Amino acid sequence: MISARGLCRSYDDGERGQVRVLDDVSFDVQPGEFVAVVGRSGSGKSTLLHVLGGLDTGYRGEVSVAGTALSGLSDAALARFRNEQVGFVFQSFHLVQGLSARDNVALPSFFSPVPPVDAEARAIEALARVGLEGKAERLPSQLSGGERQRVAIARALFARPKVLLCDEPTGNLDAATSEQVVALFTELNKGGLTVLAVTHEDRLRRAASRVLTLVEGKLS
Amino acid sequence: MNGRSLRRLVRLNLSRERRASVSSVFGVGVGIASLVFFVALGLGVGRVVREQVFPVDASLVEVVPSQLSLGLLGGKLDQAAVDRLAALPGVEAAYRKMSVRVPAVSFYDGDFFGRRLRMGIEVLAVGVDPDFVKQDVQLGDFGDPGEGKPIPAVAATRLIEIYNKSFAQSRGLPQLSATMLTGFTFPVDWNRSFVAEVKPGPMTRGQLQVVGVSDRGLLAGVVIPLDAARRINRASGVDAATFTGVALKAVEPSKVPGIVEGVKAMGLRVDDQERRMAENAGAAVAITTSAMALLSLLICVLAAFNIAHALSASVRARERELGVMRAVGASRRDVFGLVMAEASVLGLFGGAGGTLLALAAASGVDMLAARVLPEFPFKPDSFFVVPPWLVAGGVALGVLAAVAGAFLPARRASAIDPARVLAGQVG
Repeated sequence: MISARGLCRSYDDGERGQVRVLDDVSFDVQPGEFVAVVGRSGSGKSTLLHVLGGLDTGYRGEVSVAGTALSGLSDAALARFRNEQVGFVFQSFHLVQGLSARDNVALPSFFSPVPPVDAEARAIEALARVGLEGKAERLPSQLSGGERQRVAIARALFARPKVLLCDEPTGNLDAATSEQVVALFTELNKGGLTVLAVTHEDRLRRAASRVLTLVEGKLS
Repeated sequence: MNGRSLRRLVRLNLSRERRASVSSVFGVGVGIASLVFFVALGLGVGRVVREQVFPVDASLVEVVPSQLSLGLLGGKLDQAAVDRLAALPGVEAAYRKMSVRVPAVSFYDGDFFGRRLRMGIEVLAVGVDPDFVKQDVQLGDFGDPGEGKPIPAVAATRLIEIYNKSFAQSRGLPQLSATMLTGFTFPVDWNRSFVAEVKPGPMTRGQLQVVGVSDRGLLAGVVIPLDAARRINRASGVDAATFTGVALKAVEPSKVPGIVEGVKAMGLRVDDQERRMAENAGAAVAITTSAMALLSLLICVLAAFNIAHALSASVRARERELGVMRAVGASRRDVFGLVMAEASVLGLFGGAGGTLLALAAASGVDMLAARVLPEFPFKPDSFFVVPPWLVAGGVALGVLAAVAGAFLPARRASAIDPARVLAGQVG
C-alpha cells in the first residue's frame, strides 16, 4: 500500500545551513496494516507523513501510495491524489471555523473534480462512524476537543480513502478522549483501512501492528 | 472547485471578515461612483455643447470667398466656382448662400403672442438654396414669393433658445416654440439701419414670415430663399451675382478633409470658426472630465491597494485553513481562484453599488439644478448622459480594480506550503 525508497529531505536552516531531516528512508506498508511512526521531536516524523501524503514535494527518492507514484506529479494531480486516496488527521484538528461539522466533513467534496451527488449523506455517514451523527449542524466552536478531533477523522474518512495519515492525532486530547480516538483508529483498521500514525503516545503505539522508529532522519 | 462550493466558501470568508469586506466594497464604490458621475457629467455637458450650443454637422463644409482677390485663379464665389465645388470628389450637394448685402431693420408695434410689443431691431438675412433648410420648413415651399408678399424666413433653433432663456425672461415676453412662431409675420425695411451705413440704393419695405426653425438657421438673423436675397440686393443696387458662401455636403464625414483640400486648391477659404469653437468647447469639457475621471481612477487604484492590504491580512490569518484545504484536495489553482473570487465579489458589489450611487447623485443634481438654478440658454433637462456601456464599464472596472488588488495576495495564498503551515514545526 505504501512504498518508500531512498527518501531524503533537507531544509535550509539559515545559520545551520542544510539540515537533513530524512536520510535514505526506505520501508513498505502492506494493505490493512496499522503502523506507528515514533521518534523524538525533530526526527523527521511529520516530514515523512507530509511526503507520503503528497503535501511535501521537495524530497529525493521514490514514493508510491495506494498505487500512485508521487514523484513528478503535477500540483493538480497531487491535489487529486490527496482528495481521493488519502485522509489526513492533524494534531490541531484544523477545522474550518464557520462551517458546520457536516460541512467540515464534506470539505473534500468542495475540491473534488466530480463531487459526489450524495455528499451530504456521505458526510452524515462519516459522522455516524465517529459517533457524532447528532452534532452535524454544530459549529467547531460548539464542540469539545475530542469531538473536534472526531469531526476531523470523519473528514479524513469522507472520500473513503485507502490510507489514513495521522500526525499526532491524540496530542491535544485528554487521556479518556485519547483512548476513544485510538479505539476508533483500531476499529477503522479492522475494517481494512491502512493507518500510518506519527505519535509520541504509548497508547497509540501499542495499538499499532508495527512500529517504525526514526532517529535523526533514519529508520532504526 | 465547482461553482457551488466556491460560492459557499466565498460567502463564508466574506461574512467572517465583514468589516474588512465592507471597507473594501466602500473603497471601490467611492472610486467607481465618482468615475461614473464625472464621465456621465462630461458626456451630458458634451452633448449639450455638441447638439445645442454648437450644432456642427460633421459632413458640412462652409466655403467662403478668399479675402484676397486671385483674379483668374479664383477667390470669387460665382456660379462657375459653385459648379466646380459641386464637382469635387466626395461632394453630395452644394448649397449656395448670399447675404442680403444691405442693412435691414424691423419696427414692430403690435400684439406679440398676447403681449403688446413695440420695438426696433437690426435684421441680418442670408439667402440660401431652399434644399438647405427644406426639412425644417413647416409652411409653404420656401421659394421667393415675389415683390409685395411676405418672404419666408427660417429662424435658428439657438436664437429661440437664447430668446426664451434670457431675453424673454428679462423683458417679461412670452416663451416661444417653433410651432408658435411658424406663420408669425413682421415688417422689414431693407437698406435701413440704426447703426450701419446704408447703401446708395433705395430703401424698400417688405415683410418676413417665419416658416420654420432650424439648426441650420443663422444665429443672429434669419435665413430666406436665395432668390429673395438676390432680388433684394438687385433692388438695392448691390452685388446680386456672387455668393457669400457655399455649404458643401459631403457624402460622408470621412470625405471632408479631401473636400477641404480641394476648396483650398481653388483659392477659396473654409469657414471653420463654428467648428473650431465647437471643438474648443468640446475639448474643454473633455479635459475637465478627464481630469475628474483621472482623480476617480486614482481612488480606484487606492481601493485596489486597500483590497490588496485587506486580502493579504486575510490570507495571513487563514494560512492554516488554506493549508487544510490543500490537504483535502485543493490545488494551488483552487486557492488562487478562491481569493480572486472573493475579490471579484467585493469588486462586483463595489462597482454595482458605486454605479448606483453615481446614478442617484446624478438624479439628485438634476433635481437640484431644476429647482435652484435659474433658467439659462441651453440649460438641459439633465446634465448627465448614462449610456449602457458606462453602467457596464463601472461595474466591470470595480471588479477589475478588486481583482488587480487581489492578484498578489492570491499568488501568495496559492504558494502557501501546506506542510509548513499544518505542521507548525518540522519534526
